[in-house]
Amino acid sequence: MTLHTDMTADPHIRIDALTFDYGGARPAVDRLSFDIRKGEFIGVLGPSGCGKSTTLRMFAGLLAPTAGSITIGGRDISHAPPWERNLGLVFQSYALFPHMTVAENVAFGLKLRKIGKEETRARVAEALRAVRLDAFAARRPAELSGGQQQRVAIARAIVIEPEILLLDEPLSNLDARLRDEMRFELRDIQTRTGITTLFVTHDQQEALTMCDRIVVMNGGMLEQIGTPAEIYDRPASPFVANFIGRANTLKARVAGGRVTVDGQPVPASEATGANGEALAVVRPHCVRLLADGPLKARVLRRVFVGSMIETELELEGGQRLIADIRPGDPDDALAHVGNIVALDWRGADLRVFGA
Amino acid sequence: MTRFLSLLVRAWVFAVFAAIFLPLCLIFVISFSGDAYLSFPPTSWSTRWYAEVLSNGGFMQGLRNSAIIAVIVAFLSLALGLPAAYALVRMEFPGRRTIQTLILMPLVLPSMMLGLGILMVFTPAGLVATFPGLVLAHLVMTLPFSVRILQTSLANLGTDVEQAAMTLGATPVQTFAQITLPRLVPGIVASSAIAAIMSFDEIVLSLFLVGPRLTTLPVAIYRYVEDRTDPMVAVLAVLLIVVSLAMVLLIERTVGFTKAFGK
Repeated sequence: MTLHTDMTADPHIRIDALTFDYGGARPAVDRLSFDIRKGEFIGVLGPSGCGKSTTLRMFAGLLAPTAGSITIGGRDISHAPPWERNLGLVFQSYALFPHMTVAENVAFGLKLRKIGKEETRARVAEALRAVRLDAFAARRPAELSGGQQQRVAIARAIVIEPEILLLDEPLSNLDARLRDEMRFELRDIQTRTGITTLFVTHDQQEALTMCDRIVVMNGGMLEQIGTPAEIYDRPASPFVANFIGRANTLKARVAGGRVTVDGQPVPASEATGANGEALAVVRPHCVRLLADGPLKARVLRRVFVGSMIETELELEGGQRLIADIRPGDPDDALAHVGNIVALDWRGADLRVFGA
Repeated sequence: MTRFLSLLVRAWVFAVFAAIFLPLCLIFVISFSGDAYLSFPPTSWSTRWYAEVLSNGGFMQGLRNSAIIAVIVAFLSLALGLPAAYALVRMEFPGRRTIQTLILMPLVLPSMMLGLGILMVFTPAGLVATFPGLVLAHLVMTLPFSVRILQTSLANLGTDVEQAAMTLGATPVQTFAQITLPRLVPGIVASSAIAAIMSFDEIVLSLFLVGPRLTTLPVAIYRYVEDRTDPMVAVLAVLLIVVSLAMVLLIERTVGFTKAFGK
């Protein structure tokens, strides 16, 4: 057993080699391991079918893991039924009780916990205040808007003071404007209550703006875990680079500490790793155009998107990439369709992955 | 053009409704005939045939029997159908698909064949011309309907809401009693009403199973019509319609007809 050097980082929740196998070609969730600290807002991000919803359902006790474990505060809950876990789950569909009022919905979990009438009333009122729905206590869910229903679902989940709040794509049924509003509101509620939160989403923007740390999943496996900045700036794989934000992926070679693309040396500060075939990833906004240099490319297309011009370029070897150019910059003058330009970027902006 | 089309559509709807309701109207009118035979329009008016039906011991006994059987069948259809529907919708077990298909079999089979089969089983078991026998036979007809309606209602509820209740601390039993059951009321009312109406109107299976000791109203009417046709038949038809209509109104009043039978 290894000793953790940092004992202050209390792993409130530990997911260890969590696996779920439907019996398909490969497991839906494959040996997933990560820790969650108390009060942390963790995003689980990935494309549909990456296993993030399966992970959430295993957390909630709605699916039993094939292997591995989930431990909360030292207690292994992997095989406890959902009603013994004390978790708050907010469904994508909100899943409110349509035959109960808003207040009855929120009180449901407290009644089951045999909390007294007075305390129940006080805690329901407090939870509804927290989601700014105190005026709607007597309404039925059907009389509320989507955003209000969602806030009832959150109130219902936080009022039981859960060990962890699980959010399953909670914003995806809202219209764009409301989604932006709820994003901040949700984060605000979480900060005020301090409830550890696991937030499942396929939307990188939501994950980047809301989460303390992001777990990126792909094909049932963990691709990377880190803060939004770490994930964006130092993606651990070409998949992460392409999934979080936009990225150009170029075939490259690493030889003797130098990186070449199309046979030409390119700026790279991390040309470590094995020699041979590699993938070089650079974000469009990091690519600059020069009048002359070793790596030449032809301008194929310019698309004006307001704050910048997306410029599509083709290397002599046929590989294509995008450069985001600010209108009026020196690059802009070079980026005429058909022009041959040279490409440049800062060495630190290129990520190199062994192929 | 659209005006003409809309007129045409309206005429069509009217025609369809006329085809359905005109015979009913005729029957209703004839039931107040004072004549000794069926004719339209009646030459005289009276309520004597209503008095005749209400004082006819055979019909009244049949009505009583049919009502008792209908109530028991409705109750048992629900009591047996709900667990079956729940298992078929919410649980995973080998053969689930097969059972889902087979459960509707009695609806496909000609009731003559069913009746004959039931008779052959019930005769040695001593169930012919008994309440349990008739109830069991009617259940063969009503259970598939009940299970089907309840299955649809359950499936439409989805599982999210129930799972939400469980994550909030509700055991499966608490979840069923406090979340599933209240939301299932329209389906329960609908399936029970259908079962009651089906049993009350059932004739083919009953014909095989009734005897001098025990008969149902539809069988009594059938037997009566075999040798005589007087306005009493119209009165009986009106009574049957009124009972069925009362059921429909009951559903409409409690849960709303479209809500119970629609999706």
